[in-house]
Amino acid sequence: MQIIDADIVIVGAGGAGLRAAIAVAEADPSLNIALVSKVYPMRSHTCAAEGGAAGVVKANDTLDYHFNDTVSGGDWLTDQDAVELFVNEITKELIQMEHWGCPWSRESSGHVAVRPFGGMKIMRTWYAADKTGFHMLHTLFQTSLKYPSIKRFDEFYATDLMVDENVSAGCTAIEMRTGEMKLFRGKAVIICSGGAGRIFPFTTNGAIKTGDGMAMAYRAGVPLKDMEFVQYHPTGLPGSGILLTEGCRGEGGYLLNKDNYRYLQDYDLGPATPKPVLKSMELGPRDRLSQAFWQESKKGRTVQGKWGDVVWLDMRHLGEKLINERLPLVRDLSISYVAADPVTDLVPVRPVVHYMMGGIHTDINGATPVAGLYAAGECACVSINGANRLGSNSLGELLVFGARAARFAVEHAKSVKAPREALVTAQAADAEGRIKALFKRTGGKQRVAQLRREMNLTLEEGCGIYRDEKSLRESVAVIADVRARYRDVALEDKSSVYNTDLYQTLELGAMIECAEAVAHSALQRTESRGAHQRLDYVERDDKAFLKHSMAHYNPNGDPRIDYLDVTITKSQPAARVYGAAAGGQAA
Amino acid sequence: MSKRNIQLEVLRYRPEQDREPVFQTYTVPCEEEWVVLDALNYVKDEIDRTLSYRWSCHMFVCGSCGFKINGEPKLGCKAFLRDYGDKIRVEPLDNFPIERDLVVVIDDFVDKLQSVKPYIIPKEEKSVAAGEYIQTPAQLKTFKQYSMCINCLLCYSACPQYGLTNQEFIGPAALALAHRYNMDSRDVGRSAREHVLASHEGVWECSFVGACSIVCPKDVDPAGAIQQAKFTSAIDYLTSMVGIGGK
Amino acid sequence: MSARKPYVRKMSKTSWFLTHARFKSYMLHEVSSVFVALYMWLLIDGLFRLAKGPEAWEAWLSFIKHPLVVILSLIAFAFFIIHTTSWFKAVPQAMRIQTGEHFVDGKLIVGGHYVALGIFSLFVLILAGVA
Ligand SMILES: Cc1cc2nc3c(=O)[nH]c(=O)nc-3n(C[C@H](O)[C@H](O)[C@H](O)COP(=O)(O)OP(=O)(O)OC[C@H]3O[C@@H](n4cnc5c(N)ncnc54)[C@H](O)[C@@H]3O)c2cc1C
Ligand code: SF4
Ligand code: FES
Repeated sequence: MQIIDADIVIVGAGGAGLRAAIAVAEADPSLNIALVSKVYPMRSHTCAAEGGAAGVVKANDTLDYHFNDTVSGGDWLTDQDAVELFVNEITKELIQMEHWGCPWSRESSGHVAVRPFGGMKIMRTWYAADKTGFHMLHTLFQTSLKYPSIKRFDEFYATDLMVDENVSAGCTAIEMRTGEMKLFRGKAVIICSGGAGRIFPFTTNGAIKTGDGMAMAYRAGVPLKDMEFVQYHPTGLPGSGILLTEGCRGEGGYLLNKDNYRYLQDYDLGPATPKPVLKSMELGPRDRLSQAFWQESKKGRTVQGKWGDVVWLDMRHLGEKLINERLPLVRDLSISYVAADPVTDLVPVRPVVHYMMGGIHTDINGATPVAGLYAAGECACVSINGANRLGSNSLGELLVFGARAARFAVEHAKSVKAPREALVTAQAADAEGRIKALFKRTGGKQRVAQLRREMNLTLEEGCGIYRDEKSLRESVAVIADVRARYRDVALEDKSSVYNTDLYQTLELGAMIECAEAVAHSALQRTESRGAHQRLDYVERDDKAFLKHSMAHYNPNGDPRIDYLDVTITKSQPAARVYGAAAGGQAA
Repeated sequence: MSKRNIQLEVLRYRPEQDREPVFQTYTVPCEEEWVVLDALNYVKDEIDRTLSYRWSCHMFVCGSCGFKINGEPKLGCKAFLRDYGDKIRVEPLDNFPIERDLVVVIDDFVDKLQSVKPYIIPKEEKSVAAGEYIQTPAQLKTFKQYSMCINCLLCYSACPQYGLTNQEFIGPAALALAHRYNMDSRDVGRSAREHVLASHEGVWECSFVGACSIVCPKDVDPAGAIQQAKFTSAIDYLTSMVGIGGK
Repeated sequence: MSARKPYVRKMSKTSWFLTHARFKSYMLHEVSSVFVALYMWLLIDGLFRLAKGPEAWEAWLSFIKHPLVVILSLIAFAFFIIHTTSWFKAVPQAMRIQTGEHFVDGKLIVGGHYVALGIFSLFVLILAGVA
């Protein structure tokens, strides 16, 4: 097996991975960086982010406001030291992006413009029309080309982490065009592999978001934290699951039920003012809006039709000019996919799985319990999002914690001695052996698509917007069954060149592991908090559950779940207040 | 929802068994609102697991799913079945070597992208503490269109010059990106990019067929960018001549 | 050793433009320029003859009145129109005019070119005493 030596190995070249790579290159140009990604960097799913990235920049705003919005938005499951660090750092990162060429939308004065976003009291979301993530990703990618120490390994599929007695030693990855397994030896490894929304059937997440990195860490003994918190975004296009950004509502769009009534006023989010008010109505947090949809649907007040159960997103009053300027992609997508032009028509929408609040457990420096192993971006759980992420905080998160994890990885790489070679080589050989065995397996009766469908379905039914013991037990059982049958999947494609049957099979394996962590963590959390709503335990229970759940991998059965206290510094848990009482700024 | 049977003719190339690409036809029961990519996914899931192609976002922004569909370079996720008959032909993009089935080798493009120095080259380093650059909406507008490229490579597939020069020509997207940075008010890197842009393989290789701009799914108009770059490049050349004469 | 074997499709250097309607119309534009050039050559030749003296000039005049030359001229004129329209159509791409946050509408730029062409042609016709 070919060995590739690097000081720092980064798995994933999305926003977090690229930011980390640049941070390493700037911290110490003499360090070799191996940037490993299963897709070309610009295909990473950061490109799909539309709305924007929050950072305090205007005179009427303060770091405390951003802190409070984030902590209460996360229903106090956020680690407050991490949030404080985050709100302090993010604006610098956004300015840095500006210096690197990110085409932020501007005010007429030439300063960056900000827009309102859900759950934020003041307008503070920087945006580049409705293609913010796209522009950020391309800016980062293009900027990364400046640094000779960043060596890219595009279309390399990472499979396993190498760990020597709780010290990270690198990873294995398959070069997709040759099918050859390579061993990347690195003094530090940073996982930036993105989310796992694809475990659900109806999601805004692209095909690549299969939780590979989460599963790699999980199998290597790192706990997955707060996996039961899955964000549903309230406005996805029915059928395809394509996202219509929160910017639609930030700019003043309404959500209407079948009676053309702004139903959110019935869920403690009112009053319904014609102009948007922050933290009210359509600008409430995502968990509350998605839950309101579910309630409306139970009351029979959603629209039934060719799209199933939907509500209307009404942007007609915004006018063609504003829609073209600020929401051009939204218009394009709506016309193409549901034949509704937001300028003249109501657009059908429904909640859609969007984001994993949980992920690889790290501390405030992006460090996992395995020395030299770091994680950043959506795959990580530093705990700034708690039980519900506020829109426009995760593009910020990947910058702040991508760069921060990188700096700590650099320190680590400089201090550490080389891991034991023989042991690492043996682990790599094991990893290769597993792939070879998969190729050799014949007569497998299980099909990837079928297992994926069953897993998808059970998560939607059992671990959706509302859950209860019965639904969760059902999910746990189905996932265990799928996991067992997965061992009987055989490849139909035995080619070594760009074998997507192989990669989809490996991705399914990772998804099953993530799904298992989601279902078990949700089953054990007998309270309702943020995005985790239990019909059988409707109250938040701070006594028992002001804690992060930690799912530990068990190769032979159910994961073990234990808990870690939440870090509280200055904001004591209180009721989450939205609507008139929240005192949000008029947008 | 109504179903429709589509004959999907896909160009297959499996390096371990095919000497050259061959068409394979799949009968796919499609939903009315599907795109071609959905039909391919159906084949992959239900009919033939050996079919290889790239995709991810399904919302025309990641640039993975460029194919030649009925002879036109298109994004698979933006090619709606309602716009096609019951027989659809899907091939890999032209002008790139075929790695496998619909997957093409794009190393050459990635190298070219790097060659045009697609990043801000500032007049002087500015610290983050000094805040953002002031850039008016009008200054933003000047280059914005050229920053919309998703690197889908439909334009390279459509560009005869790229094919005729055996990939020597730097090509539409990379040149448009160079132009994007040249036009950015924060950048002074035009002279650093000039030797690539004005080289024989640069803007002057373009004969303005204009196909790139027609097929571009993001209205980047690379052909326009290249013609404008020719103009500035010529002016630069002339002024440098005059400059030499004057000194 | 890897089983990679990327397949390179060859592009015909001589008939590539037959593979797509778009390329054919591009070729038409390119070919039309040959006719434009030839006709220019004819006109310049006329100028030389005029300079040479009345005899040469008369010969040239009768040459261009020859039915065959007239037919060829008409063909050239047709190509001239093709060349002009296809060129004008492409002008807004090469020439972007920005005023503040907007670009001048391409149709205006194209329209401007036709107006200029009209005025210029009228001027020439007046000079020639036709109009
Ligand atoms: C439609 C949409 C809109 C959004 N809008 C917003 C918004 O407006 N504001 C906001 O703040 N957030 C938004 N988000 C969330 C945000 O975009 C994501 O959380 C964030 O971009 C994740 O970035 P990342 O770098 O962690 O991961 P990604 O960009 O997903 O990158 C993951 C990387 O990991 C690599 N990888 C994965 N597995 C492997 C493997 N096995 N081997 C090798 N490489 C691997 C991939 O190739 C890829 O390069 C949005 C999300 C979606 C889906
Ligand atoms: S210029 Fe257009 S066609 Fe070419 S790669 Fe970019 S987006 Fe695709
Ligand atoms: S799948 Fe991303 S552009 Fe088509």
